[in-house]
Amino acid sequence: MSRLGAGIGLRARHYPDFSGARPAAGWLEVHSENYFAAGGRERAVLEALRRDYPVSLHGVGLGLGSAEGYSRENEHKLRALARRIDPLFVSEHLCWSATAGRHFNDLLPLPFTEEALLLVASRVDRLQDLLQRRVLVENISAYVEAGPGEMSEGEFLAALVRRTGCGLLLDVNNLYVNQVNLGRDALAQMRALDPASVEEIHLAGYFAGEHCLIDTHGARVAELVWRLYEAALDRFGPVPTLVEWDTDVPPLDVLLDEAAQAQARMDARHALAA
Amino acid sequence: MPSLLEMQRDFGAALLDPACAQARMRVYRANAFGNWSAALAGAYPIVRAIVGPAFFELLARDYSQAAPSVSGDLHEYGAQLAAFLEGYPAATDLPYLPDVARMEWLAHRAHYAADAQPFEFSRPTEVRLAPSAALLESGWPLAGIWAAHREGGDPSTVDLDAGPDRVLVHRSGWRVETCSLRPGDFRFLAALQERRALGPALEAAAAEDPAFVARVALAAWVQAGVITQ
Repeated sequence: MSRLGAGIGLRARHYPDFSGARPAAGWLEVHSENYFAAGGRERAVLEALRRDYPVSLHGVGLGLGSAEGYSRENEHKLRALARRIDPLFVSEHLCWSATAGRHFNDLLPLPFTEEALLLVASRVDRLQDLLQRRVLVENISAYVEAGPGEMSEGEFLAALVRRTGCGLLLDVNNLYVNQVNLGRDALAQMRALDPASVEEIHLAGYFAGEHCLIDTHGARVAELVWRLYEAALDRFGPVPTLVEWDTDVPPLDVLLDEAAQAQARMDARHALAA
Repeated sequence: MPSLLEMQRDFGAALLDPACAQARMRVYRANAFGNWSAALAGAYPIVRAIVGPAFFELLARDYSQAAPSVSGDLHEYGAQLAAFLEGYPAATDLPYLPDVARMEWLAHRAHYAADAQPFEFSRPTEVRLAPSAALLESGWPLAGIWAAHREGGDPSTVDLDAGPDRVLVHRSGWRVETCSLRPGDFRFLAALQERRALGPALEAAAAEDPAFVARVALAAWVQAGVITQ
């Protein structure tokens, strides 16, 4: 198992912290779409940081489960970016994002049906062929059920791994949000997964809205999510873990502190297991 | 059970419907409109400064209905704002706004354009515009309007009667720069943009503007990184 440990999501607000300095993060992850450009500052920053950190490309825009409006153009932009960056991981979300003529620019929930599984598996197959590498697929947070399902979320993810050979990016905060919002048992979803399939874990903070928990990536990791993370480390081992923060991005030290907390839990569990 | 396609069309329609009673669907609606609005504000800070944040929010909402996002990359969102503003009733008292939007989209694209290759003095006649460089002609004093509404500018200094303008937008290092051009320089750079050769481009500029000095112009635009190979 990799000993990359805990990393952080790189956001533009923190570029100055990385200018001339190399803060102690195990690795960095970026949103792929922010670096699709042919040139300019973002691209130069990422290429410079790649020389000193492992970098993971995390896509937010493909919408692997969109029945229509799926963009092959952006698949090719992702391939060009991956060739330049030689990323640690390439990941996307288990979601849909578009209808014909409109992209919603959000991660929308899929029904856990055989029909959806067939579509997503075909898109993952194609993407892995195009990129010539394993892709990780991440579970999203949801506010409503997309429709009647034929399997659980965990069973759907496990089946996708079996059919495509993809890996999983397990977002522990999303499991918690879905447990609260939709009554899905987070531990049961984890138990449905092959332990070897989880290659990366995400942690983030949610916002408690009036009607449900909202996955804002705008707060520290909640206490109950840390407990769930410990259970995930027990089941999946010391998997590389990333702390994400996207709204009201705080000073870099706050992110590094969250990552250090994840690292401490990883080290404690790993020592116990040894 | 509806097909996946039917389910997604129904979900999308409910998400966009302001009358949808489902509280949690409104969370999706707020996310989507928030993302579109933030992307538009990021690409059009000068338009936003001119109309103010409250008007801009309404504009962003109306634009998102009229010209939907079609890419998972939000940096591509907003390309049609200038055309949308041409027919936007609420902005008829700001007739220069579409041209300002045109200029801002050029600046947005300049930010993400390919880097220019360094100029090779061994091949001085094979020239073209840098990938980030773009030109715009307007009946309005665009550079003045731009300067007055950028951060730290003073909107009270705008003279809308200052007449037409020809502007250049390009990226210098990581900064997007804008400036007004004299007729000769505009003609020269426009000719290069049309992929005309250096000699004819310089001649066209000199024919249009007696004050245009080829040697001086060439040196200045190479120095500024606007001309490359």
